[in-house]
Amino acid sequence: MVGDKWEQHGEDNRLRLLCSGDHEAFSWFVDKYKETVFLCCRRLGLREDEVEDVASETFMAAYKGLGRYSGRSELSTWLWSIAYRKGIDCLRRNRRERQLEDEQENEIAAGREDGPTVVTEGKETEQVVWEAVERLPRLWRVAVVLHYREEKAIADIAKIMDTRENTVKTYLFRGRQKLREMLSGALGEDCNAGK
Amino acid sequence: MLGRALRRHSEPVPADFTERMLRQARELDEQRIVSRVIWQGRLALAGTILVGIAAIVGIVALPGRIGAILRSVGTGFTDRGGALIDRFPQAVGAVRNEWQLYAVLAVLLGFAVYCLLDLLVGDRVKMA
Repeated sequence: MVGDKWEQHGEDNRLRLLCSGDHEAFSWFVDKYKETVFLCCRRLGLREDEVEDVASETFMAAYKGLGRYSGRSELSTWLWSIAYRKGIDCLRRNRRERQLEDEQENEIAAGREDGPTVVTEGKETEQVVWEAVERLPRLWRVAVVLHYREEKAIADIAKIMDTRENTVKTYLFRGRQKLREMLSGALGEDCNAGK
Repeated sequence: MLGRALRRHSEPVPADFTERMLRQARELDEQRIVSRVIWQGRLALAGTILVGIAAIVGIVALPGRIGAILRSVGTGFTDRGGALIDRFPQAVGAVRNEWQLYAVLAVLLGFAVYCLLDLLVGDRVKMA
């Protein structure tokens, strides 16, 4: 398989081949980061048909821009920033259409929006946590996923989201607070047990 | 706990996504090659036209000097080509007559302008 073969190459060699437009290297690159890009698109709240389009646009933009990739930031950070920008562009493009959808959705979800998450029997803890994260406001959600799942530093998140580090800290602080509220009923003491 | 729970989540991705991206990358490369070839053609044509214009301007502005240069080139060919050029004395004689040279250059220039217009706006005219 292409992935296995490419994992054996050194990081520098892989990057060199990738930047030179090698198709096998690009295939490895897509395989490695496709989940990350889909994660970004979905957390931004794009519709499922938009998710795939934006993910494709992201990889094609990366393919065109790889020759200019300087290596100053991690490859995943660079790709996240492209995906984030493309996702935000897509949201802006379809703003009016989305506003109508959101209004309808808000009406339906009005009753359950801020209530604590309920653990149904047999539901895994991570699934409960994930569902709670999904209910956070868009930008808090992206910041939380970037920091806690992708393990990105605050400075990198600020770069990806094109904002100040203090703003990212605020998103994370509020996100954690909201999660604590939502999960307190469901997970009890566990949710205060650190990151 | 938050980090651990989030890291366990796996994001669903369409099964053939990598293949589709690879196909798009190949198509993009092909488009790049085609557009590069088209631009090379345009540049070559523009170069030909510029050289043609420069030759006509030179001949019109400095007929004596250009004539002398062409004659010396012709003589050079005659000297070097020897027997080959001797077979075509009439053709060599015609090139040495300046009015015929103008006529040939004008035809070439007209053809080059036609080609350039066809390349730049031909598609639009045909589609209309």
